[in-house]
Amino acid sequence: MRSPLLATLASVFLASIAGAQEINLTDMEGRAVTLEKPAERIATFPMPMASVVVSMDGGIDRLVGMNEQSYAAHFEGLLGTIFPEAADIPFDFVGNGFVPNVESLVTLSPDLVVQWGGRGNDIVDPITNAGLSTLLVLSGTEDNARGSQSLIAEAIGKPERFETMLHWRNEVVAAVEAKAAAIAKDDKPSVLYMLRSLSEITATGRENHYNTWYIEMAGGISSSAELNGTVPISAEQIAVWNPDVILLNSFEPELSVDWVYDHPILSQLAAAQEHRVYKMPIGGYRWEPASQESPLTWMWLANLLHPEVYDFDLRAEMRSAYEFLYNYEVSDAEIDSILRMDMQGDAANYAQFRAQ
Amino acid sequence: MTVSVATSPDATRKGFEKSAMPLGIVLLIASVLASLCVGRYEVPVWRALEIILGGLVQPFAEHAEIDERIVLLVRAPRTLFAVLAGAGLAVAGASLQAVFRNPLVSPQVLGVSQGAALGGAFAIVMGIWGLPLILLVSLGAVLALVLVGLLAGIGGRSEMLTIILAGMVVGALGSALVSLVQMFADPQSSLPAIVFWLMGSFSTLTWERLWVGGPGIFVAVAFLYAMRFRLNVLALGETEARTLGSNPDRERWIIFALVALIVGSQVAVSGIVGWVGLVIPHAARLLVGEDNRRLIPTAILFGAAYMVLVDTIARTATAAEIPLGILTAIVGAPVFALLLRQYQLRKAR
Repeated sequence: MRSPLLATLASVFLASIAGAQEINLTDMEGRAVTLEKPAERIATFPMPMASVVVSMDGGIDRLVGMNEQSYAAHFEGLLGTIFPEAADIPFDFVGNGFVPNVESLVTLSPDLVVQWGGRGNDIVDPITNAGLSTLLVLSGTEDNARGSQSLIAEAIGKPERFETMLHWRNEVVAAVEAKAAAIAKDDKPSVLYMLRSLSEITATGRENHYNTWYIEMAGGISSSAELNGTVPISAEQIAVWNPDVILLNSFEPELSVDWVYDHPILSQLAAAQEHRVYKMPIGGYRWEPASQESPLTWMWLANLLHPEVYDFDLRAEMRSAYEFLYNYEVSDAEIDSILRMDMQGDAANYAQFRAQ
Repeated sequence: MTVSVATSPDATRKGFEKSAMPLGIVLLIASVLASLCVGRYEVPVWRALEIILGGLVQPFAEHAEIDERIVLLVRAPRTLFAVLAGAGLAVAGASLQAVFRNPLVSPQVLGVSQGAALGGAFAIVMGIWGLPLILLVSLGAVLALVLVGLLAGIGGRSEMLTIILAGMVVGALGSALVSLVQMFADPQSSLPAIVFWLMGSFSTLTWERLWVGGPGIFVAVAFLYAMRFRLNVLALGETEARTLGSNPDRERWIIFALVALIVGSQVAVSGIVGWVGLVIPHAARLLVGEDNRRLIPTAILFGAAYMVLVDTIARTATAAEIPLGILTAIVGAPVFALLLRQYQLRKAR
């Protein structure tokens, strides 16, 4: 392009095309984020967001960087099988406490960086100062999960995929709630979800906590609702609650249901005596935090807590969900592995999930 | 007695000198019993006492009932370790104060706890648990003490300020290295383990852990108790100690090794617990005076009782466990301030 006039004309033309594609978002901290075109290179700090990007896109090409914990979940769960190429995706730009290493981040040349909101500006400003578009998301509740998923879908120009997922979420919530209303209070089992077990035992209260929300939606009563936030608790405290059902986290790879059955105190409680101890599954992402797979968690738990009330065909639901979310035909063996049939196939009410 | 408080402080102390030991014994027994009987899980006191008696008569019997398990498998090892940890930390603080001839030193002020933490963090990252963990933690504690000794010159001539500053330097270095180790720790498994362990808690105490950490503390406390007269000699200073026929260098190193064993065992099992080594020896000093022959046993008894009470609060006050460091500081700091004030008043008279 020799003539400066031509160059100017060309750039105006290009800019107008870009303008047509421009995406304006308001993130969950109320900040305006403008993208010239749908994001093609996304780096994510929050753990669940890496798999959210994958599911909103139906592929992994747009994910150029993620948290080390997202990376661990990716290869511990189903996504490692579907997208083995993620092995090369870097995670070194996420420091302790989600502090960005901006120089590492810039080398990925992301056109969108997803970071946690609600945790102060110190983890955000370095990214925006480097001139990178930064989208802040929140977690901890179903509404926040929906909000962050919707933002990602819009950022990559595929809002219709989020609409489909939203429809699915609403449908499952309605189906679970409709039947839960008829369950008498006395028939509702008390359920304890432990966020950590091995190095210490922690549990969470009700306030703004997603786990309590879906336990109660699925017809359970959260044992730890009285707690304030996520805090360490003792085995003696769990004995006081004496939960009917114990849910173990999927975050600790070495944690098995045997930890409860071998524990001098927990093994004596109702949940262990009735064999109602379950470790949370891990599919495309862990099933206990809110994610694109949450409706599967709700159906799994509803079937487990009230097999006489709910009869979701979980395996069929998983097949169609993974087909839509990741474009992947999941095998029976893979479903068994996600549901941890080897570990807990013999637990109470778990036979319903076996392959027919 | 109340009259003598107003008129003659020395007479008061004389009274306490005699009564401090029996008082400490009663306090310790009462706090241990209370700790075994109190908890989130309701076990009636008479039933708890019956269980304790049963446990003493038949220590290896199977415990079928849940309340038996709560008292004997959850509360008992935890309470016993609190006894040992409290006694150990208090006597470690008192011994260091005698050796350094400085009332402001404690395992934490001297950077020993941080050195121990470094050894432990390193061990957890390497996947080391049990006895080797304690050895590494104790090694970290010894290294920190040696470093402080070298920096400040422990030959009796070292000034208070130099020792404290040397301790701060070593402690800061230890903390920084712990953070460095944390940076390289696996965020899924070893990092949460290190973070929780550093916070200091007895909540993971079991009989197995008690057997790992307890014997070292017990032996070291017994030795320091036996050396209480030597501590008096060391507290006189270099020249005086030599004149009295003692070998101060060798004895100082023995005491350092014992302190490192105490702090190492305690930190390895339950993380850093601050303040006990500073507050308890001072409280004991106000009761029975500077003489280590009385001070050491008093510190042992009161340290043990204090730790048991604090831990009982930590596990019963709320449904959530309260980290010990928070409680020892909240209870310790005001008590320390009060003691300091009384001490000043007494001196002024």
